[in-house]
Amino acid sequence: MLLDSIPKALAPLNLEKVAPGDYSKTGCHLEVAATPAQMPAVAEALLQEGCFLESLTAVDTSKAAFTLVYHFANFSELCRTVVHASLAKDTEAPTISHVYPGANWYEREVYDLFGIKFAGHPNLKRLLLPEDATIHPLRKEFPAEAEVKAEAPK
Amino acid sequence: MITSGIEEKTFVLNLGPQHPSTHGVLRVLLEMDGEYIVNAEPVIGYGHRAHEHMAENRNYLQFLPNMGRVDYLHALAFNHGYCMAVEKLIGVQVPERAEFIRVITNELNRITSHLLWFGAYLMDLGAFTPFLYCFDDREHILDLLDRITGSRLTYCFYRFGGVPVDLDDDFIFGCRAFIKRLRSRWVDYHNLVTKNVIFIHRAKGVGVFTKEQCLLYGITGPSLRGSGIAYDIRKSEPYSAYPLFNFDIPTGENGDIFDRYLVRLEEMEQSCRIIEQALDKLPNGPVMAEKVPKRIKPAAGEVYQAVETARGEFGCYIVSQGDIKPYRVKLRVPSFANLSLMVESFKDNLVADVVAILGSIDVVIPEIDR
Repeated sequence: MLLDSIPKALAPLNLEKVAPGDYSKTGCHLEVAATPAQMPAVAEALLQEGCFLESLTAVDTSKAAFTLVYHFANFSELCRTVVHASLAKDTEAPTISHVYPGANWYEREVYDLFGIKFAGHPNLKRLLLPEDATIHPLRKEFPAEAEVKAEAPK
Repeated sequence: MITSGIEEKTFVLNLGPQHPSTHGVLRVLLEMDGEYIVNAEPVIGYGHRAHEHMAENRNYLQFLPNMGRVDYLHALAFNHGYCMAVEKLIGVQVPERAEFIRVITNELNRITSHLLWFGAYLMDLGAFTPFLYCFDDREHILDLLDRITGSRLTYCFYRFGGVPVDLDDDFIFGCRAFIKRLRSRWVDYHNLVTKNVIFIHRAKGVGVFTKEQCLLYGITGPSLRGSGIAYDIRKSEPYSAYPLFNFDIPTGENGDIFDRYLVRLEEMEQSCRIIEQALDKLPNGPVMAEKVPKRIKPAAGEVYQAVETARGEFGCYIVSQGDIKPYRVKLRVPSFANLSLMVESFKDNLVADVVAILGSIDVVIPEIDR
């Protein structure tokens, strides 16, 4: 049972929260809260349990912090683990792409859309937006509608 | 490697972005050593339409039509995932008949997606005839779905709490007739392609995904099952009416192109089985839940809902802060992870195999770009 073995594997890391989730409401069996600095160790522990990285994203939670959200699932047993890691703005999060190479693109996407930097990432470049873009559109301060500055043709 | 004093140099070959076999606008920079690929770097984002940003600036219902446009080939699965996620947030139960209709239409859509892949992929490999066969078959489903959903490609058919229109007898009759017809075509398909020696030589042992790679990259869908891991959300995390039906999860052994091809062909037959059972057991009753609020304003919270699309797992992650607009919507799309592994598997292959590998994972680029 992964529902028992994952909390056991995460126990030595002294995480903020490892608790069963309400699957019928949130779709997750385990809810974990960690600091970004703990994420490489969390990822390694979950890889040992045979989990794969389902999704990696961020939420612009408040003016002071982002929340990094990692979803892990397993090919052989139904047990989805969600890990929330609160990251103060203007700080860097360590990459987990050396543990899960699949995280490489997810982290590039988060960097592209939120401007969050991942320390130790092998190739932290924009992924979806053009290379010379200067915006991070999923930050809440980004305007919903583009400012139109049309000039009359001369 | 040449070591006779000639300087060893690699060169960069540009594949795409406008190339018929990239199935969308994908550009791959291939670093070549002669005919062998040393490194590959994809450039994506040409079709970025900012769906996730749009979600934050629309209310829940206004964002629904976007779901038909993320993966246009299996639009109904994306409809389904998003609707189920919102239904979980607002706590609405979908009536049984609506669940059955969702499963039937979803599986029909899955067959259209696989048929299109079958034709387009074999055309990439130089076989023109299968394309004509499968588009002939696909057209019948498009007519059926057109009849009830009102569109041929970018469906927006599910609503929060059910489906807007009920099936009629003509649809049910047409559906049964179509399945009978499609089953009679498998022989032709196998004779045309599966036993074709040119196809076998191009597909066997090429573009292998190992089980370990699949785990590290989070591969899902037929590309994963071709490598021998029987992971299908419809079975492993049953949703909607899927637990009520008997169907198998076809898997391959070697994880090469040929196995992925066989898995997809067999999946179409399994979809036929699901549709048949659903038509047989179709219960009576309403197709829309009674108490669906007109103004959707879920309490603060978050939800992750996964569904199986034709390409793998679509995960819809919604964060609500008690507003009429979602606070954040993340669309976890299957081709995103699949493409990132595929680029790894290009390495040390011949340039002639690039198109064969690229097509074999069935990418839909607008789905990756979002």
